[in-house]
Amino acid sequence: MRRSLLVIGAGLTGLFAAVVAARRGAAVRLITEGRGGLILSHGCIDIWRDGDLRFALGRLDRYHPLRVAGWAALEAAFAAFLEILHDVHLPYAGSLDRRWRLPTALGTTHITAAAPVSMTSGSLDDSKPIHIGHLSGLRDFSGALAAAGLRAQGIDVRGIIELGLPQGRSPRDLYPQEIAALFDDEGYRNEVASAWKPKMRGVHRLGLPAVLGRDRAVEAFAMLEADLGVDPFEIPTLPPSLPGLRIERALRRLAVEAGVDLIEGPSVRGEVDGRSAGKLVSGAVAATAGGPRVYRAQAVLLATGGALHGGWFSFPNGEVQEAVFGLPIETSQDREEWVAPTLYEEQPFARLGLRVDAQFRPCDRRGRPYFENLFAAGGLLGGSDRILEGSRQAIGLASAFSAVEAALS
Amino acid sequence: MIPSMSAAVKVLPTPPPYFDSDLCVKCNICTAACPVAGATALFPGPKTVGPQIGRFWQPGQDAVDPATTWCSGCGVCSRVCPHGVPVAEMNIVSKAELRPGPRLALRDWGLSRPAEVARWMRPIRPLARFALQSPLLRGLADRLIGLARRAPLPVVAPRPLSRARADLLRREPPPRAAPSRPRVAFFHGCSTEDYEPWLGEMTIQVLQHLGVEVEIPPQVCCGLPLQSNHAFDAARRRARRNLDGLLPWAERGIPIVGTSTSCTLALKHEYRAVLGLAGAEVDSVSESTYDFFEYLEQVLLPGLPEIQLHSVPLHVLYHAPCQLRSHRIGSPALQVLRAIPDLRLEISRAECCGVAGTYGLKSERYQVAFDVGGELFAQARAAGVDRVVTDSETCRWWIEAHAHIPSIHPVELLAAALGLPDLRPVGAARP
Repeated sequence: MRRSLLVIGAGLTGLFAAVVAARRGAAVRLITEGRGGLILSHGCIDIWRDGDLRFALGRLDRYHPLRVAGWAALEAAFAAFLEILHDVHLPYAGSLDRRWRLPTALGTTHITAAAPVSMTSGSLDDSKPIHIGHLSGLRDFSGALAAAGLRAQGIDVRGIIELGLPQGRSPRDLYPQEIAALFDDEGYRNEVASAWKPKMRGVHRLGLPAVLGRDRAVEAFAMLEADLGVDPFEIPTLPPSLPGLRIERALRRLAVEAGVDLIEGPSVRGEVDGRSAGKLVSGAVAATAGGPRVYRAQAVLLATGGALHGGWFSFPNGEVQEAVFGLPIETSQDREEWVAPTLYEEQPFARLGLRVDAQFRPCDRRGRPYFENLFAAGGLLGGSDRILEGSRQAIGLASAFSAVEAALS
Repeated sequence: MIPSMSAAVKVLPTPPPYFDSDLCVKCNICTAACPVAGATALFPGPKTVGPQIGRFWQPGQDAVDPATTWCSGCGVCSRVCPHGVPVAEMNIVSKAELRPGPRLALRDWGLSRPAEVARWMRPIRPLARFALQSPLLRGLADRLIGLARRAPLPVVAPRPLSRARADLLRREPPPRAAPSRPRVAFFHGCSTEDYEPWLGEMTIQVLQHLGVEVEIPPQVCCGLPLQSNHAFDAARRRARRNLDGLLPWAERGIPIVGTSTSCTLALKHEYRAVLGLAGAEVDSVSESTYDFFEYLEQVLLPGLPEIQLHSVPLHVLYHAPCQLRSHRIGSPALQVLRAIPDLRLEISRAECCGVAGTYGLKSERYQVAFDVGGELFAQARAAGVDRVVTDSETCRWWIEAHAHIPSIHPVELLAAALGLPDLRPVGAARP
């Protein structure tokens, strides 16, 4: 008999969990209220910003998701994710120990463990000089801003090159995803390459906003690289961010093709199995366009994200609740204590979220799971500061992988 | 005389064009998913014409962005929004403020009344068929009233479903001595009633084969084509008649089942969310309505022993219509198709085929609608499939005409897998 799993949420964590579970033969249903946050993502895999995570693991809070998962699970999850990306023709470069230093659209440094190969020529550890391409007609990326930021940190930026996009007359600015879709077309790329080629004299490395292709980004990048005769590299833009969107589209497609029943749109409430004396959950009730519909499964995985993504919310009295099953999230009732006095310091609220046991089941402060077959992963988990640690994707992947393993065993 | 039950149904004042704008955080997820914005730069995207300018809108102000007319109403934006903003509903309501000139009004009047058109067309069926297929006449209609010459239009069937299956017509649900047998009220919609009655007959046969008792309740066109063509008041009149007809079934807990995904969406969602109808009666009908395959998945199949399905050795591409996706139930037909032996299944990557009901039939929208569907047509042709399978009739006609691949309803594959006879009339593509 196939195990059945209901995944709630379609960000990186939920989509990855659904694909992994479906590939292991489970009957997977994924319900999501709207599309997940991948479109807001830089598309890189952040593991740990400072120092060696292997040594840091033992010193982390005992409910830190990476400590709960352990190094071996992180390794397995990372390998599985790179393999999936490979299968969908999105080649990445990196390893758990790699620390790429890559430029952002503001000209600051982003430290990450693995990046699309289209970004790696932008490594700030490489001493070759950089030119930044400014695409006229793309409002969401400023070559001057990126160049100024990079120069301020001592990077050798030789110049900003105005590059036109052959798009004809348009009544409005084009969005990044539209330009990216144009780059999927070989004829368009040829036109671009021949228009840009004369401006490439003296250019070694060329930084461009990450709009070079949507579903055929690898081909688009390889062709520009060959035709321009320089080392181009992509810099992630404001949302919609193509490196994230590429992963989102590929994973969603892969999930459906692997047999995942994908339900987009309804909000859900958890359903407890009334015959189990409160020990088991039985599925979720979805608010569809018509009536409520019940979707049952042997195990449920919450991948609904943190507060910004709707995974948990707070009441005015300071009580904090997980959104689907209403699980309590422990915190100070005094909301003043949730925030630091100034913006750019460690924020206590960043660590709010569910606590999980060794099998990634939400549990109380004594480590007892609320339900035997309810699991949680990703941004919904507390105990870590994903922004400060630079650990967002590590947590999503490792917890999703471990939770699926526990849910299917 | 049967008293009008829908007398208690209230019409809420039409929601102001930009209600719920403040829920929008401008993340652009809808813009990235919008198939129309991806096909034409004339449409700035659902967020820009909806919640974004809605922030600046004051009650009483006449401030609908004319670019909103490019919205096809496919509903993708609302479904992908992670913050619960009813982007599509917002834009459909504001679009209704922008009426076309008198030349196009005649066309919109006809497109929004498929049942009336069928009634006039039936006595002159051969003539109508000739006219719809004549390049000269279609070219003229394109020039004169803006009816896209290349858009596929259906020819009326000789006999409507309600006459072919008059044995199932009921004024109200008959009381039953043994309520153990599953029963459904079949909402056929006007395409099945007037243009594809064989599909209705096939659906009824499938249901009966599975042990379900089928009744046909009093009903008229759901009113969605009227709503899509600015005629909200006329749409509300249709809605009230349907609520009157269907309520007795809903009140007794009998599921209302349809194979036409836009009609069932109107009953479930549009009456409440766009036409502003409110009250327990509307909720009751909405919550009792099921798409055919949703009914199988949610209600019927869990209570049945495993069904023997025969081999259907075809290579098909399944496309979930945008209107079905707006039900927010996933693609229940896919789960059934996956279980059919020897059926090779590809899955569409497109959000929408482009036609979006009557949108692609209009000369001024035709090219954009065609471009929206381009991804789907190319995928179907590249895969070399024998059939495209999709639930909505307008999508089927549109895809068949543009991808040049016979397009069928998934219930046809289920009927074949159950060993039931093929009821498609001669000349139509068969599974």
